[in-house]
Amino acid sequence: MSVVDTLEGIKRRVEEELQALDGSAALENLRVRVLGKKGELTALLKGMGQLAPEERPKVGAQINEVRQWLADRMDEAQARIRAAERAAALKAETIDVTEPRPLPQMGSEHPITLVMNELIECFTGMGFDVMEGPEVELDHYNFELMNLPKNHPARDAQDTFYMDENIVLRTHTSPMQARAMLTRKPPIRIICPGRVYRSDEVDATHSPVFHQMEGLVVDEHVRMSDLRGTLEAFAKKLYGPDITTRFRPSFFPFTEPSAEVDLTCVSCHGKGCRICKGTGWIEVLGSGMVNPKVLEMCGIDPAKYSGFAFGIGLERIAMQRYGIRDMRLLYEGDARLLGQLR
Amino acid sequence: MKLAMNMLRQYVDIPVTPEEYTQRMIMTGTAVEGTEDISGGMEKVVVGRVLTCEDVEGTHLHECTVDVGGPETLHIVCGAPNVAAGQLVPVALDGAHLPGGVKIKKGKLRGMISEGMICSGEELHVPTELYPNIEEKGILVFHEDYPLGADVKPILGIDDTAVDFEILANRPDCLCAIGIARETAAALDTEFRAPEITVTEAGGNIHDEVRVRVEAPDLCPRYAARVIKNVRIAPSPLWLRKYLHGAGLRAINNIVDITNYIMIEYGHPMHAFDLSKVRGRQIVVRRAHPGETLTTLDGNERALRTDDLVICDEERATGLAGIMGGEESEITEGTTDVMFECAAFDRTAIRLTSRALGMRTESSGRFERGVAPGTVMEALDRACMLVNLLDAGDVVSGVIDLYPNPRPAQVITASVKHIQERAGVEIPADDMVRILKKLHFGCERDGDTLTVTVPAFREDLDGEADVCEECLRIYGYQHIPATPLSGQTTQGGVSPMKALKDRTARLLTGMGYLEIMNFSFTGVKEIQKLGLPQDDPRNDPMPILNPLGEDAAVMRPTLACGMLRTLAFNMNHSTPAARLYEMAAVFDHHHRTDEGLPTETQTLCLGAYGPDADFFTVRGAVEAILRAGGIGCEVEAGGDAYYHPGRCARLTRGGVTFAAVGEVHPDVRERFDMPKRAVIAEINLQTLLTYFRPMGEMKPLPRFPAVQRDLALVMDEGVAVGPLMADMRASAGKLLESMELFDVYRGAQVAAGHKSVAFSLTFRAPDRTLTDEEVQAAMDKVARVCAGKHGATVRA
Repeated sequence: MSVVDTLEGIKRRVEEELQALDGSAALENLRVRVLGKKGELTALLKGMGQLAPEERPKVGAQINEVRQWLADRMDEAQARIRAAERAAALKAETIDVTEPRPLPQMGSEHPITLVMNELIECFTGMGFDVMEGPEVELDHYNFELMNLPKNHPARDAQDTFYMDENIVLRTHTSPMQARAMLTRKPPIRIICPGRVYRSDEVDATHSPVFHQMEGLVVDEHVRMSDLRGTLEAFAKKLYGPDITTRFRPSFFPFTEPSAEVDLTCVSCHGKGCRICKGTGWIEVLGSGMVNPKVLEMCGIDPAKYSGFAFGIGLERIAMQRYGIRDMRLLYEGDARLLGQLR
Repeated sequence: MKLAMNMLRQYVDIPVTPEEYTQRMIMTGTAVEGTEDISGGMEKVVVGRVLTCEDVEGTHLHECTVDVGGPETLHIVCGAPNVAAGQLVPVALDGAHLPGGVKIKKGKLRGMISEGMICSGEELHVPTELYPNIEEKGILVFHEDYPLGADVKPILGIDDTAVDFEILANRPDCLCAIGIARETAAALDTEFRAPEITVTEAGGNIHDEVRVRVEAPDLCPRYAARVIKNVRIAPSPLWLRKYLHGAGLRAINNIVDITNYIMIEYGHPMHAFDLSKVRGRQIVVRRAHPGETLTTLDGNERALRTDDLVICDEERATGLAGIMGGEESEITEGTTDVMFECAAFDRTAIRLTSRALGMRTESSGRFERGVAPGTVMEALDRACMLVNLLDAGDVVSGVIDLYPNPRPAQVITASVKHIQERAGVEIPADDMVRILKKLHFGCERDGDTLTVTVPAFREDLDGEADVCEECLRIYGYQHIPATPLSGQTTQGGVSPMKALKDRTARLLTGMGYLEIMNFSFTGVKEIQKLGLPQDDPRNDPMPILNPLGEDAAVMRPTLACGMLRTLAFNMNHSTPAARLYEMAAVFDHHHRTDEGLPTETQTLCLGAYGPDADFFTVRGAVEAILRAGGIGCEVEAGGDAYYHPGRCARLTRGGVTFAAVGEVHPDVRERFDMPKRAVIAEINLQTLLTYFRPMGEMKPLPRFPAVQRDLALVMDEGVAVGPLMADMRASAGKLLESMELFDVYRGAQVAAGHKSVAFSLTFRAPDRTLTDEEVQAAMDKVARVCAGKHGATVRA
């Protein structure tokens, strides 16, 4: 049998064996048997000494060609077998991804904090600085500098907790405005979020402890229209571009002119619904141009500067946003409720 | 404040629906709480005449035929005892609506057809003071003649809408019909018609009837009086009764009703004295004498302060000025001589007296908010005009009007430009003048300058800003455009404390903690549940003078109480596990600020219970928070009395305590009703902020390999591992990179009362590969220190 025939025989047999292979171990075995140092092709090469010298290069070339051909076939087989084996292994490791498992236990900030942070983000973006101050406050800052002298009947509207004659639990965060005006120079743009106190009995819509965020701008040429512009920007950021404001005349001793500000009802977008009692508007905040008397008492020249101020109740926004019907729930600390914000 | 719209229509046209009227008023500054159909929705109730009335045998019923002006007479079965043929009565027709939602339908009663109902006053919700002819029992019988089939609502004075106004604190002048009418005229741009006041005097001289002396003109800037003789006490006419009814007041008799009517019409509380009961026919207005007492209408004898203003006769104080009159001089059926008082009292004085005595009346409420002296005479004369009109008596000639220091009319100079600038609205100057005049201001314009004279009834204005508001609110707030803030830009940002809180919240929420908010109040009893030593300052927290209750009477000196309460709440609501935190101020009035305020310390409190919450998990959370602030702490055993004495610690560094953590003492758990074990921790955020160190540069990664050695030490149970490890670290020298405890073993392999603690120590040099000898030398030193200082020997 000629070398060529032998080579052809090997090729055929290897092809057949590759077809029948059942794993990478068998393939390796075959590789060693055919191509290894003691394999069939090596034996053929070694047997070339018996050939005529002129035939040797040709036969050598033929053997090497077949060797390369076989090596390629075996590599192909190896790739095929690896893929099959990997596929089998992956199949064996299949898990039921629909099986429910506990979530990582995350916590959450309180609804009021979430709303407060949203508002802070909105106003700091407009250049407002956050200021915080004492909750137990001097009457002087809480009332007198806010144009509410002792025995002023408007003090009745803010049922006050007193610590002594001169110290109160702040009824609004406005005293921080006074402190800011006394310590900073215009332009002043601040917001003062925080806890405030009024001696209301606890019920579904009242709490003796609640949260406010007041804002104050003092600069040259500040106009009531700037107040509206600022509040509209805030309303759109918080609730979306179709939300607008409605200003209604009102009275606060520390602002003149004063306005109650309604926002388009977020629930019905102004069409009128149960939440806005059919009016299409939700009362959200009180505001106005800082009373020149307040500016003067706080050491700012009202002839040169003007300003606006506003105050937003956070509980109302939080209750509306998170569908909380009873204010008491905000202060009960029930993990079953708060945990829903995780 | 409720007012009948028909009363307002006396002074101003309201050519719009109640809904639109409400809107216009709201948008110009007069809030409206709501409107109310005074008839309560009554429909199809008409005047009818009972033609025949037959008793139905064996019952209390009557079978009647009733003429209601239609082509057919109606058959109506009526159970009232007083029904009789010939009466003029209100008849609810088939399909009628009665107040309270009752509907009347044709039907059968005991087999007899009934085509309607003859109504009682009660069924029509008509009070006796509005229609005094209503019988106590049985159907209402009209005594006047009315056309058959006529709607009964106008007859009964209930064909109207009452509007409930909410008046702003600065507008006491609007607490009356005239004031609302003036605002209405401005809001709707219609004409205001002031009543034309004329008094017909019957002769005589008031000075012969009564003498009045004001001894405290500072508290009573104006006191005016008129006298009525030959008083004829009688019920007031329907029109007056129905306006009082619309305002929620009861009609009593003509004299009293006139004073009440003036109050709702002009906003002036008046008082009527039975002059014959005023001793010496003399009125003195003065401060109470020291030690003086007064028996008020409710029968209580009250001690007075010397700042209380009293109304006296010749002998003694008989009433509290502006708050309550005396019983003796009340108007009765037999009254013949009356003195009307119309005065202005100092609002603060009235407020303080009303507070001190706990007496709040309609009158005191009005004086507290402010009654202008300037309109006193107008109101008093209007009352006398009504006396003429009602023929309630003869008005004696002359008036007493003690007004020693008349207030000059207030004049404000304002600039058109300033007003436009403040508003951000180009209100035309002519519109400003028109609006101000409409609001009864005097107004002269000279170029940019407005000279504005404030009417006597307005005492709430004192500058250009107020004039701006007046112009703007009538011009319309809807004209205010939205302009963006201009001027120098400012850098916005949160305070360092808020930033720290936000960072801390991010860590905690990532660790599964939920934020809670408790009230800042607590009670001394709750603090005592903590079992702190007697002299601990937290047992003496800052009290509130006027707290809502005993359990909310002080400012909390610690967040622990609220946390324990909330943990208990959750345990008792079947929540198997919870991790909670609160960040808030605690209050210490023993340490005051320069301003004399209590120290407020922002504090973080953690609380956790459940299978995954033990001392170490909570301590770990605290350490993670401190580490994020660049603060590594030592752990020292011990803490407050409300912690488990063997399971609590303080986290300190350099003598500064940053935090405390511990399991809750079982006694405290019992007092707070906590069925499960829980761990709480407290972190002083103020201290954390002071020592807070932002993350610095990162260390480069090591270039040389580390050598790791394990060391098992056997030691007495009592040896604390924390200090031992501190000594190990110190003795190992700077080659020690890190050290970890990886096992604590107690059992057969070690002697009783001992534990084996295993550590893994990692050594590394930044500049070379360590040799075995170097590492061994360090390990030997560590072992020596452990043996020498802590009696801990290397485990064989």
